[in-house]
Amino acid sequence: MTKFIFDLDGTITRSETLPLIASRFNIRDEIAVMTRETINGNIPFVESFIKRVHILGNLPVDEISYLLAEANLYPRVIDFIEKNKEDCVIATGNLMCWVDKLLNRIGCRCHASECTVEDNKVKKLTHILQKENIVREYRNTGEKVVFIGEGNNDSEAMRLADVSIASGLTHYPAKSVLSVADYLIFDEGALCRQLDRLF
Amino acid sequence: MPPARSVVLSCAGTGSRLGLAQTKVLIEIDGKSLMAWQLELLKDVEDLRIVVGYQADAVVKEVLNYRKDVTFVYNHNYFNTKTGTSFYLGAKDGNDYAIGWDGDLIVHPDDIDKCLNSKGEYIVYSDRMSDEAVFVRTDENGDVLSFSREDGDYEWTGPVCIKKDKLKYTSGNVFNMLEGHLPMKGVKVRAQDIDTYDDYQKAVEFIRSWKK
Repeated sequence: MTKFIFDLDGTITRSETLPLIASRFNIRDEIAVMTRETINGNIPFVESFIKRVHILGNLPVDEISYLLAEANLYPRVIDFIEKNKEDCVIATGNLMCWVDKLLNRIGCRCHASECTVEDNKVKKLTHILQKENIVREYRNTGEKVVFIGEGNNDSEAMRLADVSIASGLTHYPAKSVLSVADYLIFDEGALCRQLDRLF
Repeated sequence: MPPARSVVLSCAGTGSRLGLAQTKVLIEIDGKSLMAWQLELLKDVEDLRIVVGYQADAVVKEVLNYRKDVTFVYNHNYFNTKTGTSFYLGAKDGNDYAIGWDGDLIVHPDDIDKCLNSKGEYIVYSDRMSDEAVFVRTDENGDVLSFSREDGDYEWTGPVCIKKDKLKYTSGNVFNMLEGHLPMKGVKVRAQDIDTYDDYQKAVEFIRSWKK
């Protein structure tokens, strides 16, 4: 069996989600620089994520969750996931409490980072998702793993996957991703055509 | 084009014989890059799979100037492998039939249809133009019986259409992959490949000849 593991931000959504939050709450500049540097691999993902959560963690969790539930998605990618729900998984470093409503909308299984929430605010990060562990998990059960991603924090997962697709739908993928990718695709139709051939 | 065919355009090489330290699809011919010519000639191909290696980033960006809906395939080990590896990598997750196409080959626009839409499996060749080519020996029907580095009836120009299941990984050349499947139907076209500076000059003339 084939398991398709998708990155969320910029692969399923048309833009990164943290800048959406920052824009809504007027802290855009600080987050934008850090997001760009993280995607490019200039700041380690874990360090950047902790900093970004520190900045955004005081914002109301429920408002963020409603905001992200409205994120603009790639319709043909969503269509592929809907048709193959049991074979598709999302692996996102994002916080589950922020993306839960968005993930419900997409409807497939998801792995995300976790935190405790108190008074509608992030209190403490408890788990930062390392996507390569998810790939390992599925491969250990004998699945053929296809990973679709674009950011620097996808590169280890893509190195371990049986087939790795660098998605250029939103950004030009990070150099670390291109150095391990089997495929590089910039068009939604071409991406879905390739996914269909990988069962 | 019949359904379920992919074209694998191999552009991973270093272009060493041309001596420019530049991958061949980026060289300019009569006002535009060789890649731009290829994309124009292959514009009707739905599943175009472009294998990249040396100068991959520059090749990708050049393609994106013209077309986005291609699949780029990485041959990260391009320095130690040959065209057979790129063809295998490009074909393995594509459609059931793969058409292998070297990035340094220019086919006359009036013959593109024969390369893409002939029935079944076939090998494409042209009149002999170079001394350092791979040649094919053919029977009276034009079917390909064998390949040779020394001599043959025609020059093997590169395109081949074959069921992808027949392709196995190799670090060698495409014609080595095909030898076990001969004889195969032959299709003759007008084409020019670019291995040397002399070929490059011929390619310029070739393109100008059809533009007249």
